[in-house]
Amino acid sequence: MTRSTAHNEGPKSDHTPVLKLENIHKSFGGVVAVEDFSLQLKAGEIVALVGDNGAGKSTLIKIVSGVHSPTHGTISLDGETVTFADASTARSQGIEVVYQDLALADLQPVYMNLFLGREAVYGPLKLLERKKMMSETQALVDELDVRIPSAKAIIRDLSGGQRQGVAIARATHWATKLILLDEPTAALGVAETAKVEKIIASLKARNIAILIISHSLDQVFRLSDRICVLRRGVQIGVKETAKTSKNEIVSMITGVS
Amino acid sequence: MKIRNLLAAASVASLLLGAFAQAQTVGPSGESATPSSGVTVGDDKIAALKAGGYKAALLWHDQSDFVNAVTAGAAAEFQRLGIEIVATTSAGFDAAKQRSDIETALAKMPNIVLSLPLDAVASAVAFKEAKDNGVKLVFLSNLPKDYKHPADYAAIVTDDLFQMGKQAADALADAMGGKGTVGWVFHDASYYVTNQRDNAFKTTIENDYPNIKIVAEQGISDPARAEEIANAMLLKNPDLGGIYVTWAGPAEGVLAALRANGNKTTKIVTLDLSEPIALDMVKGGNVAAIVADEAFELGRAMAAAGARALIGEDTPAFVVAPAVTVKASNVEEGWQLSLRKDAPKSVKAAK
Amino acid sequence: MTKLTSPNQWLDPKRYVVYLGFVLIFAFFAITLADDGFLTTRNLSNIVLQTAPATIMAVGFVFVLSAGEIDLSFGSITAVSALSAAVIMQEHSMLAGIAAGLGAGLAIGWFNGVMVAYLRLPSFLVTLATLGLFAGIARSMTNLRSIPVVNDTFTGIFGSGSLFGIPSLILWTLGAVIVGHVIYRESRFGAHVLATGDNANAAQVAGIKVPRIRLAVLMASGFCAGLAGLLYAGRIQAAKYTLGESDLMIVIAAVIVGGTALNGGKGSVVGALVGSLMMGMLNNGLILMGLPVSDQMIVRGLIILIAVAISLRDNTR
Repeated sequence: MTRSTAHNEGPKSDHTPVLKLENIHKSFGGVVAVEDFSLQLKAGEIVALVGDNGAGKSTLIKIVSGVHSPTHGTISLDGETVTFADASTARSQGIEVVYQDLALADLQPVYMNLFLGREAVYGPLKLLERKKMMSETQALVDELDVRIPSAKAIIRDLSGGQRQGVAIARATHWATKLILLDEPTAALGVAETAKVEKIIASLKARNIAILIISHSLDQVFRLSDRICVLRRGVQIGVKETAKTSKNEIVSMITGVS
Repeated sequence: MKIRNLLAAASVASLLLGAFAQAQTVGPSGESATPSSGVTVGDDKIAALKAGGYKAALLWHDQSDFVNAVTAGAAAEFQRLGIEIVATTSAGFDAAKQRSDIETALAKMPNIVLSLPLDAVASAVAFKEAKDNGVKLVFLSNLPKDYKHPADYAAIVTDDLFQMGKQAADALADAMGGKGTVGWVFHDASYYVTNQRDNAFKTTIENDYPNIKIVAEQGISDPARAEEIANAMLLKNPDLGGIYVTWAGPAEGVLAALRANGNKTTKIVTLDLSEPIALDMVKGGNVAAIVADEAFELGRAMAAAGARALIGEDTPAFVVAPAVTVKASNVEEGWQLSLRKDAPKSVKAAK
Repeated sequence: MTKLTSPNQWLDPKRYVVYLGFVLIFAFFAITLADDGFLTTRNLSNIVLQTAPATIMAVGFVFVLSAGEIDLSFGSITAVSALSAAVIMQEHSMLAGIAAGLGAGLAIGWFNGVMVAYLRLPSFLVTLATLGLFAGIARSMTNLRSIPVVNDTFTGIFGSGSLFGIPSLILWTLGAVIVGHVIYRESRFGAHVLATGDNANAAQVAGIKVPRIRLAVLMASGFCAGLAGLLYAGRIQAAKYTLGESDLMIVIAAVIVGGTALNGGKGSVVGALVGSLMMGMLNNGLILMGLPVSDQMIVRGLIILIAVAISLRDNTR
């Protein structure tokens, strides 16, 4: 298997990349889902992962988030090689995922979702520190401009855009290095999509690396710094968003030029 | 199907085990039985009772035709005597619920309590407060542990269990012309009520009918399995002249087995009224007779015993209500006598 | 130490249904049964005493339902636990009896929990089966006989005794409700139970050990049922296979009326207490009204139906 193209030609930088994937390969039984994938992400950079259904985007997200482990290849965070036993390990390393289906508990208030599985407690009895969780949540949603009635609002009473805002806020709260966004606006209307995109764009300022999967090329061009194209598990190429066009990306995705 | 016959009364039953050989129903402490007809309250006492403004509570173990008939009998007698029924409960066979029912009913301060104690041990505690407050207790069939007559309770009233078994034997022998072979389907559990009745049947056949032989004995603990058991019995003894079944529920299964085999000759006797069994009987099927108890009379006697105790009259420790043999000819009277109800429409229509 | 629950939940009118129903029924009986002893201290304390075992079962049941599971077997657990305690106490010390009773509850809860959490069998079917299984075991343990409980210390602690003038059954009820409420509302475990019942996937990806939660709630239910068994044994001073058998419907009704969602994710321990007291009060009042048994059942059934309908109108998803 020859590869003449260099994959990792991101903008040169003095900084160590936050995330470095080298020659990642994943097969399920005999079926190859991802082969020889390499990518680097810097802090404050948004990279979009595009490709048709079955191109291997979700598998890749699952590898980075620790759900699957790669068949071979290495993952490095801040220059250190890591292996994730499960999703919790990845999370403890500062990687957060916003899932397509949101993964919010509908009947619980916003602040309990923000702290889901990582609730703040106090005292010898380890009782829930609701006040602290509420105020931190309120501060964060205000900062990100996620417009919800209150941190105490029940998720079920929120709109789709508000829910996605909460899910992103949660990832933002816990991620120290990387946020993975899996189709963050797939279920949203136009206005809500714009709102969520604004929140995502604002995350750049927080110096977190973002890897986003999206079907909408318009969105990809609006948000991303670089675009990585996958086709049937094969990495076709990585382009700087500013230096490419939709037509080029579409032909890379489809293989038709 | 009277589930009351399945009551666990383990401690009472063990006291009674020795009594099976005797030719009559005996009380928990070996008391001899007084017929219920002997327990009455004379008209001359009514005025005094009415003046007392007495109250009664009926704390039953469950709901059934039988309990309804006992309640009706008690209610009629209480009404005659000017005693108000202030509470009626059903514990659904739950000893803890019965304990609660007793406590609740005591808030209405009854002077007489009629009850079937569900559990000899638990009820001894449950009825303690009522007993200590001088409430006159009249028990149905079972007795709380270590309660003494007359200090602790006015009377126990029960069916004449021996008579029921004996009359079943007489009726079956009559239907078989005094000779042949019999299958005996008894209740395979340590239950006072069914054990006494089953053994009375067996004793009567063995002692009084030399030409009838019990050739098959089969215990039953689950009425739902009666049909299988009867099939097995008929397979081994195809020429059975008659089958005794411990109560009507399993008898329905036995009847189903006979019908499935096209058997029209084997006679069945069983205990307690049941519509499908009675229907077969009036249609001239396999069922020869049903022996029932006079539940209404039983309730009346309970009420009368309580009232007598209240006005300081003696009460016999152990009272039995008579049994009645119901055949096709007297089915309507039988229903009235036992349950104080009209026989079911289907049964009357088939006559 | 416990803080108020989030104000949002207190603003939800559905939360008040059980309290409103309780007050209405209480007022109705207080007026109509004023001369029939309903309002006597004795009768009111009777209601609390009589509902103690059901209330404690209800506390465990709130956890199970909230986690999105169900436990139909707790009645059988109560019987097995009471019988275990009574049988052990015939030969051994009271402490051994208590340990046997609670241990039996925990063990059966564990058994249910392993099937549900690790073998991924539906809890409805698992506990429906173990309901019958342990009802059978309760029957065979002593051959249907009831076992007397004669240890005065035991019957005092779990039945007729009192501390500072407060009957022990009331103390047990209060203790179970307070501990249950704090764990449910104020602990991380409680939050994880709610999250699991609400959205097990979300809980899982948030790092909550969902199987462990499922195992834990079924063990909690077993433990509560075991404790209820000890209270029954202490109260009637005997253990019998029928104990707890008839509590299934009452406990489910109390918990649902008390504001716990059938599908998990939402509930209230205090609501379950009020629901249980409401059931007890209904039972008590209808008997005192002197109604025939069938009419009592009809009226009780209708009132429960109305209460459940109102509380479920918005609780299910």
